[in-house]
Amino acid sequence: MLLPERGSRLSCQRLKNWIEERYDFEGIKRLAAQKVIPVHRYEIWYYTGGIAMFLFILQFITGMVLSMYYIPHLEHAHKSIIEIVTKLNMGWFFRSVHHWGAQLAIIFVFIHVFSTLLLKAYRKPRELTWVTGFVLLVISIFFGLSGYLLLWDERAFAAVRVATGGAGNLPLVGGFIKAFLRGGIDVTGETLTRFYAFHVAILPIITIFLIGIHLMLVQMQGMSVPVSIEKKPHKTTPFFPNMLYKDLMVWLVMLGIMVSLAVFFPPEIGKKADTLAPPPENIKPEWYFLFLFQTLKLFPGEILGMNGETIAIVLISLGVLFFFLIPFFDRKSSRGEPSPVFTWIGIIYTLYFVVMTVIGFLT
Amino acid sequence: MKINYSLITRRTFLNTLFGGWVFAMLSGSIYALLKFAFPTLGKEPDFVVLNANDFLNIPPNSVKPFAWGGKLGFFFKKEDGVITALKGVCTHMECNVTYKPEQKKFYCACHKGWFDEDGKNIEGPPPKPLEFFDIKVEKEKLVVARKGFTFELPKA
Repeated sequence: MLLPERGSRLSCQRLKNWIEERYDFEGIKRLAAQKVIPVHRYEIWYYTGGIAMFLFILQFITGMVLSMYYIPHLEHAHKSIIEIVTKLNMGWFFRSVHHWGAQLAIIFVFIHVFSTLLLKAYRKPRELTWVTGFVLLVISIFFGLSGYLLLWDERAFAAVRVATGGAGNLPLVGGFIKAFLRGGIDVTGETLTRFYAFHVAILPIITIFLIGIHLMLVQMQGMSVPVSIEKKPHKTTPFFPNMLYKDLMVWLVMLGIMVSLAVFFPPEIGKKADTLAPPPENIKPEWYFLFLFQTLKLFPGEILGMNGETIAIVLISLGVLFFFLIPFFDRKSSRGEPSPVFTWIGIIYTLYFVVMTVIGFLT
Repeated sequence: MKINYSLITRRTFLNTLFGGWVFAMLSGSIYALLKFAFPTLGKEPDFVVLNANDFLNIPPNSVKPFAWGGKLGFFFKKEDGVITALKGVCTHMECNVTYKPEQKKFYCACHKGWFDEDGKNIEGPPPKPLEFFDIKVEKEKLVVARKGFTFELPKA
């Protein structure tokens, strides 16, 4: 059968030659060709990391353009956001996309971490991937909190006061953390400037560095396969191009969801923060703080003569610390054996987070 | 006539579809980003309305600055009492110019450019004369407008 020449392919042969004469890409090409992804019934969870990364990239882009107009100053911050959404071309859109991108990024970071936990992908030899991922989760939350204060409206002001005050209840180091975060004894214009620095300079640099390490480790070690499937024979599929195209399709869907949310549900901005006014009624933190918020509510003000809040914060910190160290405690799965105790611990953590968030959302 | 082979391969079709998708998405995103990055704010105005009493009584052979959008405007009374207004921005590199009454010239300190009192570039690097505006006095108001722009003050 006659086939027409493949003329539609974009080919820049001279440019290719120019590069190939100078740089040796053979090693990278071979690595790329060898990269395979395991195929099994849990493979859907492999997408969550890629989605989180894609959303982070979009956050970087929308954040960059928003920072061209945002003014990090007590007097102007709130007004500058109103000007961005009312006076600038597409300003409403970029603020809205940045808001929804942040929500989705944190959702997917959580899904990613809980799926890693339940499939025990953290086990040897991937402990450091878990460590960098955990730090990225904490950074994502701090990104959310710091970005949230930049609105400088009543709710943001109250939320940051509570969050930084809560950190202040930690024994010994609490006072230092609180003062460091607030840049003073209370949430003021100093805090706003400081949070702006965290949000646009300090956290992004750390994030890029950690994502770099996280991705490098994943490339070096390949994808983790759950213990129950590891020993059995399973198929693989090449990353280039099969998995890449699937990733791109999923990202496109995410982009569609994000833009639709941004267009149909643009975020509000409250009244400008007044440092002397009481917080508005029915104030609630962002959803990713609700599980902490609900936990704090469980504790009475005083337990056996000690400050209940301090006890709560200490217990939460211990819970988070244990979560962080799970790969080092779970000896069985690091030997490649089933580890039902840690399956249950994973389920309890996941359920606790989900249930507390839902309760916090509904009440 | 029926041809018994396809003019494009399946691969070409899919590549075009994929490339088209990438192109459409990127061009849409970049267009929106550029629209946001190049704001509509800060454009030069078509006209500004000033308080006539602040300007009409300045001595002859002097200028009084006013805000032409974000730029410098000069209300200018020549020695013979003729009043006019101009943009006080050098046509070379957009520095603000000053009026030198003793020489009856406008001077730009950035690259030593000189303009005469009619705004003509007479010495130094400026390539074009200064931009003059139309002025109109209506009751208490002094209206300064871009040349050729027709304006009307609201009745009330």
